[in-house]
Parts: sequence; structure tokens; C-alpha cells
Amino acid sequence: MNLFGLGLGLVTLFIIGLGFVWVIRGEYYLGYLWWPYIMGLGFLLIAASLFIPSVWGSALLGAVGASLVWGSTELKEQAVRAEIGWYPFNPNPKPQPPFAEQIKKWPAPHL
Amino acid sequence: MILNWMGLAAAAATFFGIWFGHVGVRKIEAASPTIWAPTVIALTLGLALEAGALLANNLYLSGALGIVGMTVLWDALEFSRQHKRIAHGHAPANPNNPRHARLLSEYKSATTTNWLDRDPVGHPVKPETSLLEAEGTK
Repeated sequence: MNLFGLGLGLVTLFIIGLGFVWVIRGEYYLGYLWWPYIMGLGFLLIAASLFIPSVWGSALLGAVGASLVWGSTELKEQAVRAEIGWYPFNPNPKPQPPFAEQIKKWPAPHL
Repeated sequence: MILNWMGLAAAAATFFGIWFGHVGVRKIEAASPTIWAPTVIALTLGLALEAGALLANNLYLSGALGIVGMTVLWDALEFSRQHKRIAHGHAPANPNNPRHARLLSEYKSATTTNWLDRDPVGHPVKPETSLLEAEGTK
């Protein structure tokens, strides 16, 4: 009996659940324009997982990376949800990411 | 240096699980005349995948099956949650689905419009006018 997959599945489900929380908070405080940086960080973590010798360490870093990549694609829709009142809208100015004007011209990805 | 591919396998399984939980659940719920059928199928499939994870000797296979199985088990719950989103107008109803057609007639909030299918405009806006306003800012 191999408990690795079952355990990894449970921890990954928790990581995905946390993703919903940080997407809501992240959009509220930072705005959706940070999506390319979060996506890049996600891919960076997945690449870094290749160099982690521990099986659990590598697996968890990969799962967190994938969760960040997914979350980056949720930020735009979360911004729209807040605008139409399904979530609290933050009226305060949000910090603009580097190259914000360029990012505004790119279509933000979503699943 | 020896590369550890476990992270990549876990990342692929996680992303696939999340993608199916979003896109697959939406499409299946929109097409299915009942909620219980996809729920039972997802429960059975999820348990089978977890059984596969327990029996697999290969760590990559066990890990991937464990992750995908757990997300499919969660999807079993998501079919009911998606049904409620349709009733509240938080997801577009499919008028060709008899269950959705019933929701459209019973709930004033239910709609065939996808309110999320636009770019943000940067300020609060009523759903009814948001799509037109977003179109105007392009």
C-alpha cells in the first residue's frame, strides 16, 4: 500500500483551496495587473522543483507553482466579480506593477 | 546533477485537476439534465483514482493519481455549487438544458448572460450595464 499519492492529493487540495483565498485578497490589495509576475513566479517554482532532491519537497513546490499559474489566470475575473458586487471592491488606489501600461494591452488569460 | 521530475509531475496533475474542475465541471453541468448523475460518476471516478494511487508502486503515478483523484472528488461537490451559481446568475444558464430552463423560470436572478466575460473597468458597476461599459472602453 502506497500512501504517498493519497497524502499528496490531500495536501494539494489544501494548496488549491488556499489559492482561492490569495486570489481574492491579492486582487483586492494589488489588482489584477500583477498576473504576469504571479504566473512567472509559478513557472519559476515549477522549474526550481526539478532541483529539489526530496520527493515531497519537489512535489509540493510543483503543486504550489501550478496553483500560482492557475491563480494568475483568475485575477482578471476576480476583478470583474468585485466590480459587480459579488466580492468587496477596494476603492483605494492599487500599486501598479512594472510595465503596467504594456500589461494592460495584453489579453489577461483565464480558464 | 540529477533532476527530480516529481515536481513537474505534481504541477501537471495539479494544473490538469484545477483546469478540469473549472472548465470540465462548467461544461458537464451545463449539458447534464440532472446533478446526481455527474456527481455519482465523479465520486466513483475519484475513489477509483485514489485506489489506483494507493496500489501504484511508482511514485510518479501514485502522486499524479492522488492529486487528480482528490480534485475529481471535490468536483463531485462542485456540480451542486455550479447549479446554485446558475440560480443566482453567477454563471450563465443553458436554456436548452431543461434543468437550467427551470432555473431561468423560477429564479429572477438566473440569466443566460456571462457577466464575467469582459475586461475590468476599474470601478463598481451594475452587472446589467457592465458589459456595455466595458465594450465602450476598448
